[in-house]
Amino acid sequence: MLVAAAAAFSWWEGGLHQDSAAAHTSVLATIAALLVTAVAAGVGRQAATVGVWVRGPVSVRRHFAEAPEATVAVIVWIVLVLAAIGWDLNSFAHQSHDLPTLSWIFGHATSSHAGRAAVFALWLTLGAALAIGWRRPR
Amino acid sequence: MTPGLGVWIGIGTALLAWTVVSSLSANLPGPIALVRWFAQSWLGRALALCAWAGAGWHLFCQRP
Repeated sequence: MLVAAAAAFSWWEGGLHQDSAAAHTSVLATIAALLVTAVAAGVGRQAATVGVWVRGPVSVRRHFAEAPEATVAVIVWIVLVLAAIGWDLNSFAHQSHDLPTLSWIFGHATSSHAGRAAVFALWLTLGAALAIGWRRPR
Repeated sequence: MTPGLGVWIGIGTALLAWTVVSSLSANLPGPIALVRWFAQSWLGRALALCAWAGAGWHLFCQRP
């Protein structure tokens, strides 16, 4: 039921223009709803404290000794994400038609109804996972 | 195709390939593990939600 409602909402949002008041209102309402949900669902249910979480990645040597494959995989992820961020910043700084930014690419992908609806559905799924996913049971 | 777009295709292909490889292996953290890592603490969850909200506003309300 919830999945069907999210799919219908995404399809409806896909038909909106980025300058329209309806698009602004629906995106802001979605953000507000998921932020409230994250707070309401999460009191006392985090897997780790902030201190433990922040210190977690620091001991790379221990991680490498315990799980070398996983550590290398995380390093590959970091390199790929930094490559995307770096190239996007480079393209943005040059402001050239030969150097499209990530925004331009996503703008192209979301220029159609189906494309915007699909990207919105992915964005909504990610937001819902971040707001309510991976909580400790009460 | 512009040179800049070529670089994006390269980065996108590498990301896609690594997503597939890490998803097929039980020992390698995939994209879901990456999101789950941010959701472990309040700070990580808040940072990720802020980035998510900013990206959504930019993509769906300000698209250049």
